[in-house]
Amino acid sequence: MYAPLSMDPAKILAEITTFQRKLAAGVGNLRGLREPEYANTPREAVYREDKLTVWHFKGSQKPTSKTPILIVYALVNTAWMTDLQADRSLVRNLLAQGEDVYLLDWGYPDGADRWLGLDDYINGYLDRCVDAVRERHGLKAINLLGICQGGAFSLCYTALQPGKVKNLITMVTPVDFHTPDNMLSHWTRNLDVDLFVDTLGNIPAELMNWVYLTLKPLRLNQQKYIGLVDILDNPAELESFLRMERWIFDSPDQAGEAFREFIKDFYQGNKLVDGTLTIGGKPVDLGMITQPVLNIFAEQDHLVPPDASRALGKHVGTTDYTQLAFKGGHIGIYVSSRAQREVPPAIHQWLNTRN
Amino acid sequence: MATDFLKDYQAQAQQSWDAWTRYMQQQPAGGSAFFNPAGFNPAAFAAPGMPPQGGPAGDLLARSMAGLKSYTEWLQGAASSGIGQGGDWQRQLQDLFAGAGGQPFAQAFAGIDTAGAQGFAQSWQSWLQAAQSGGLGGLPGMGPMPAFGYTREQQMQQQALAAAVREYLETQGRYQALIQRANTEGFERLQSQLSQLTERGQQLDSLKALYDQWVDASEAAYAEIALSDEFRVAYGDMVNAQMRVRHLQQQQLEAYCRELGMPTRSEVTALSKQMHELRRELRTGSKQAGVKPANAASDEAADLRAEIAALKRKLAENTSKASAPKESRPASATPIRKAATSSAKSQASKSAPSKTPARKASASRKPVAKTATRRK
Repeated sequence: MYAPLSMDPAKILAEITTFQRKLAAGVGNLRGLREPEYANTPREAVYREDKLTVWHFKGSQKPTSKTPILIVYALVNTAWMTDLQADRSLVRNLLAQGEDVYLLDWGYPDGADRWLGLDDYINGYLDRCVDAVRERHGLKAINLLGICQGGAFSLCYTALQPGKVKNLITMVTPVDFHTPDNMLSHWTRNLDVDLFVDTLGNIPAELMNWVYLTLKPLRLNQQKYIGLVDILDNPAELESFLRMERWIFDSPDQAGEAFREFIKDFYQGNKLVDGTLTIGGKPVDLGMITQPVLNIFAEQDHLVPPDASRALGKHVGTTDYTQLAFKGGHIGIYVSSRAQREVPPAIHQWLNTRN
Repeated sequence: MATDFLKDYQAQAQQSWDAWTRYMQQQPAGGSAFFNPAGFNPAAFAAPGMPPQGGPAGDLLARSMAGLKSYTEWLQGAASSGIGQGGDWQRQLQDLFAGAGGQPFAQAFAGIDTAGAQGFAQSWQSWLQAAQSGGLGGLPGMGPMPAFGYTREQQMQQQALAAAVREYLETQGRYQALIQRANTEGFERLQSQLSQLTERGQQLDSLKALYDQWVDASEAAYAEIALSDEFRVAYGDMVNAQMRVRHLQQQQLEAYCRELGMPTRSEVTALSKQMHELRRELRTGSKQAGVKPANAASDEAADLRAEIAALKRKLAENTSKASAPKESRPASATPIRKAATSSAKSQASKSAPSKTPARKASASRKPVAKTATRRK
């Protein structure tokens, strides 16, 4: 009978010897390694409030775009995914295209921020950040680029303040939270989020990280580190790996009230698409979004399934809706080589025809 | 010869592992009290778990060690099993993945709640010890009894905690059963996938390829179960039950703190809520008064530069607006459905009166000129 496994004993012995040798040598390579830096594209803080900072990035050339982009990142993880390393930076590539780029860095909430709700984040902080950028440029409206949860925030904000947003770009943004393949949403459905937040207060970052790891427990807890052995003797790749690990696990706690509202209204209630969402007592109607919308999602996204993002097209009021499917995952859309080639130019070209 | 090799290999592997363990022990302790209050202990990482937050390399090692250890042990087992070298491959596979008293990677799945709850379990055990030595009353596990006397309230609380712990253990058992099912079904999928390889005339020729195939199969099985209604209920029940235990623990701790005259978490929470409300009132007042929030700051020089830039921009726009060339849509971006032109859409947006109040309001403001007066 033909067998699916054909293991040459000599090759097997060589395989495990090689693995063990790399593993043994790896200790020496890791010793003394410093924390890898992010890309640290030159930037200046142009607005600060409580824990948040709005950064203005400086490219090697003056921006050619007339309308700046404000990148609105999610509350989970840090905004540095957009500027991870020099050759893997959405920010740098947008600057190189001639865009004028600002980034909203939410910072690290602590106990004092326990009661911050979505009203504070969207109608408060985000609105004031948009105003700060508008004022700097003397513009009525700027471009928003919302990422993941920051994309959901940007959608809400644009619906609530349509006059302040000229063009809206959403990246890997969940819109319909009840698509059947949305594992995160599925797990939250029976969660007593009131008890959860009342007990924990702010939601610890470690807990959030752990939940994300359990979406793919074998790949993310074991297989990834077995693969690491192959790059232990490659300083550049090892540094990239460690940088990504830094980003994944250096994440902020979640303000308790905002977490409660986001789980209840978005994950459990799916109110963004059923039209019953209110933020600070004001109804959020995606039909109010009449400015051009570019919706970019990742085809292999395990955190925000493509269908969860695609749903946007059915709900926005604009007649100028464009969607771009990226061949990659939730993180790859920022850091893969393909992403560097495809995403920033697509954003720039799309904006260029509308600015 | 193979036996000698394996002896050498095992010795080398042990040396390597000892070196990694020594390195781990050199990393600073610390980490998350939520998950791992005891700091890192390699023995505790039989299952992949949350690590302490040492240096970057230490942090990485803590996370990676358990998986690597399982994998190296599995490699040793595979090398000595003769898998893929003739005979009944299905039986060999069974022995390799499910033999010797359990699946070698079982902990990779089985640990996914215990690792997440590791700190919880440890704190719970500490709590029990403290509760016993502090005379808090019965152990969780005791059945309900009528409470009376001077310590009636404490007895009631302790009974509630005991009931909550029992409930948590029951929900955890249901959850673990589903995880074990994912493990079993993952192996069945692996067998099925390998059979399909046979039908296609393909073969795996390395242990890593076999491992990767197992990961694919197991993740697929896990995903299917994790998206089931049964899992949703079990997961929710387990998390909710754990939160009830924590909540009751907090209540008891608060009672102690009050007796000792120490500030409680409830008081801190109430204070932070008051502070938050004051912060909101301040912002509302600032907005109405047309000044920036007291805790907002921007750079004055940058504002002035921005004002000049805005004036220049306005001037440039006035001269070049009419002659601005239009560019074609990017090839990589796919317009769908609502395929109106951008200019038509822009017009539509401008002509929608119900959607313009915010724009009118902002247009009436002079943001740059106001900057100076808004500064803190």
